[in-house]
Amino acid sequence: MNPEPQDAQGPLIYLNNAATTWPKPSEVLEEVAQCLRQPLHEPGRTTGNGSMDYPTAAREALGAFFHADPPEHYVFTQNATDSLNLLIHGFVKKTGTPFHTITTELEHNSVLRPLTALEQDGAIRLSVVPFAGTRVNLTAIKKAICRDTRLVVMTHGSNVLGSVQDIKPIAEYLHANDIFFIVDGAQTAGHIPIDLSDIPVGAFVFTGHKALFGIPGIGGFFIAEPDAIAITRQGGTGTDSRTLAHPFEMPMRFEAGTHNYPGIASLYAGIQFIASTGQEAIEKKNRDLTRYFIRELKNIRGITIYNENPDLPVVSFNIDGIENHEAGFILARAYNVTTRTGLHCAPLVHECIDGGKGCIRASFSYFNTRDECSAAAKAICEVAESADTQVSSD
Amino acid sequence: MKEYVLDEPLTEGFLKFLENFGTVRFLEQLRKPYFSFEKEQFISIRGFIGDSNVEVRYKKEFQDLVADYFHLLLYYYDQGDSGISTLQGQEESIREKIQIRSSPIPGNST
Repeated sequence: MNPEPQDAQGPLIYLNNAATTWPKPSEVLEEVAQCLRQPLHEPGRTTGNGSMDYPTAAREALGAFFHADPPEHYVFTQNATDSLNLLIHGFVKKTGTPFHTITTELEHNSVLRPLTALEQDGAIRLSVVPFAGTRVNLTAIKKAICRDTRLVVMTHGSNVLGSVQDIKPIAEYLHANDIFFIVDGAQTAGHIPIDLSDIPVGAFVFTGHKALFGIPGIGGFFIAEPDAIAITRQGGTGTDSRTLAHPFEMPMRFEAGTHNYPGIASLYAGIQFIASTGQEAIEKKNRDLTRYFIRELKNIRGITIYNENPDLPVVSFNIDGIENHEAGFILARAYNVTTRTGLHCAPLVHECIDGGKGCIRASFSYFNTRDECSAAAKAICEVAESADTQVSSD
Repeated sequence: MKEYVLDEPLTEGFLKFLENFGTVRFLEQLRKPYFSFEKEQFISIRGFIGDSNVEVRYKKEFQDLVADYFHLLLYYYDQGDSGISTLQGQEESIREKIQIRSSPIPGNST
């Protein structure tokens, strides 16, 4: 393992799992190594026998995991941001004429920035729906809908508040009204059971490197209605090479070039790990750790917690008398506790909860322990108690 | 942002010296005593007493003017009390350049 985490401050306590889970299950690391030990099996391209067809295996695993078929409708990308860009720009290109789009204040910049860029180009008009408490509800979405609303892009789980959005009624309403619904599942995929056979989304975006335990650089999406999205990238697919037009078949329609095989292998192994460990067991452990950590924080004077009942293992807070980036620096350097500070790429949420100053986020995974939560809370307590003790002059 | 590795660990004496030039925040009751130094328009520094590593951030707009300021602090700290007034003098000249750059250019408004 990395020698750096074991320094004078004690072992690393990694609480930045909402960004990237660490450590990865040993099964994932082994699968990546195994993938690289043998020549790649590239479907459609000249290939030897004996290698595993990771893309096909992973698509089938994803189909079983999200309960939605066919496997060919799972498209691999680099990450959730890449997926969202492909889907949003592809939808706009397909639609052709300017139209109205809805998103929410809970979004990550992976949604806000592509939409803002399109708004600035005059391709869309954009409404940003506020959240109430920690959630956006159907009523708020309905209120924002115009005659020419064609697209709604919304997060499934807030990366700041840890709240899971009730997307089913929203999806049903939008589906009934012929409005394409893209759900950003970056924070939920792997953390909670997701049954896409029961939720009529247009597309559901996931990333591999968070709760699906894959390595960075692999993500993807499930697309229920591929025809809604124009092709925005073209290239080699290993099929129909004589034709200069990019193939229309799924999943090549949205995939060009050599796949990220180690990434796909890690995603495949991550899903297998969740299946063998049990989604419920993972969810329960994360919930217990989160509740325990929040209980510990609530005993500390001068801590503001922005959601005391998160659905996801995400706890966002600030400490009175000290900027979040300073507190994060101290936790990392003096206590070896890794958190994530600042705006978490979700500026609109922070405008609402902390005036746009940002906060400290601790996020857990299945591999964290109660002892780690306890040690991190103790460190936070020491920072909070020290925040008033200062010598200043100018 | 730059992270420097110093020859010697940072001391409380250096913090006392910094107090002559900006705002020092010192949280001494932590596992490692933390400090930050803020000098508006110049730089901010943060680190721990007893550590040899220190993080220095420059103001982007004036980075070329203040890039040496941290080195000046280290150099004049070694000079003792006389270093304080000498550095304050040098600081004035940097500040003047910052002010010139910050001022609107006459006749350039539309």
